[in-house]
Amino acid sequence: MQGYATKLIEITEQGADRIALQWLKDVRANPKTPAYHNFSDEKALSHAVAFYKNFRALFCTDKPFEAARKFFTKYADERYSEGIPLHEAIYALILMRRHIWLYAEFQAVFVTAVEHHQAAESLTRTILMFDYATYVITGRYEELMKREMEERIRLDSKAGSFSQKLIHGGHAK
Amino acid sequence: MQAVATKLIDVTENNADKIARQWYADVRKNPKTPSYHDLSADRAIPQAVDFYTKFRGVFSAKSPFDEARRVYAKYADDCYEKGIPLQEAIYAMTLMRRHIWLYAEFQALFVSAVEQQQAVESLNRTILLFDYATYVITERYQELMKGEIDRQLGALRALGMEESFTGSKVGIMACLLAACGFLTYYYHAVMASGVIFTHLFYIPIVLAGVWWRKKGIYVSVLLGLILISSHLIILKGVPLTDDLIRAIMFIVVSAVVALLAEGFTKIEILYKTVPRSGATQEA
Repeated sequence: MQGYATKLIEITEQGADRIALQWLKDVRANPKTPAYHNFSDEKALSHAVAFYKNFRALFCTDKPFEAARKFFTKYADERYSEGIPLHEAIYALILMRRHIWLYAEFQAVFVTAVEHHQAAESLTRTILMFDYATYVITGRYEELMKREMEERIRLDSKAGSFSQKLIHGGHAK
Repeated sequence: MQAVATKLIDVTENNADKIARQWYADVRKNPKTPSYHDLSADRAIPQAVDFYTKFRGVFSAKSPFDEARRVYAKYADDCYEKGIPLQEAIYAMTLMRRHIWLYAEFQALFVSAVEQQQAVESLNRTILLFDYATYVITERYQELMKGEIDRQLGALRALGMEESFTGSKVGIMACLLAACGFLTYYYHAVMASGVIFTHLFYIPIVLAGVWWRKKGIYVSVLLGLILISSHLIILKGVPLTDDLIRAIMFIVVSAVVALLAEGFTKIEILYKTVPRSGATQEA
């Protein structure tokens, strides 16, 4: 698997800019990612390029969940601060994954029967990474929403609203 | 692909219960699905069985996204109703998918080179469905969370009559105050008593607090003045202490209601202005 994986990783890394451009075209027109329709090219491209450039680190690690947690927590933080809704942030990532495979297919990376077998293993590994990614991003968004709400209530209480203190049993700082 | 897909679907459907039980054993101890650790088999397994028996419909659908929306929105509703957090609901579904493949591998479904190639195609189709499922469930959860908060806030809005009786609040309050004035006169002048009737004063006091927040306190002050004035004019010689305490309680209750109503309004505003809690917005 390692040999094939290296091939896939190398193609992804080398073609990062091209794959990212194809992904951008997709999210711009995809009805499931409306938040990206008016997003700046530069910003959106940076999301995809960052992912493709880190693909090796995520793919080859001995601790895939830990690597996924580290990278996709940052991904979630950035998308959240950019105002991308959760389901779109996840779908945009799914499209990033699809474009790796579309590009690999276009480059005719899987031809022989052995390569097909390796492709299945490689696909399984990629899917595992994305299962973790979805888990991490969803959990992180929930955490960020909760934190933002608490922060707003805290600021509101700090502004001197007696009613907030009353509601929160006087625990507001 | 159709043949191997049929094979995969047949195995999944025919062994739905067995696969569901294996899945249940997994989610029961998986550290990423703690909400399932205490979920009884009676509640969890039917969810997985339902998922596996509907697999054919979604897998073979001509419009897989529409079918996925129909099936997985229901899955989201079910998980939400059970109080399962979004990330766990999605991860539990991911495990359902894995257990299809674990079972297929265990049954040695894909052995030859041709079958291996078909397996890749079949895997691709499954992954597509799960991509849609993740999208649908995430979106649906956000809708459900928003709906729940809206419903809870709706109760306060209904009490505040902010949508239905906007124009007649003053009129209703005037009628209630007139009724309170009449009751005060009747009880003090005719019945020569000060008991019970003042409880009814809390109706306009609470409504005024909900409708006008702190300004509603003026209503309680007015009612207090009516009560004390009436007492001083009509019930001469009777100690004022009881009515004085009642008048103070009017103001205290009014202030508490006003502050609570104000707090709820602020929470509603905070909720509506948290931009990324689910509402799609322009980036």
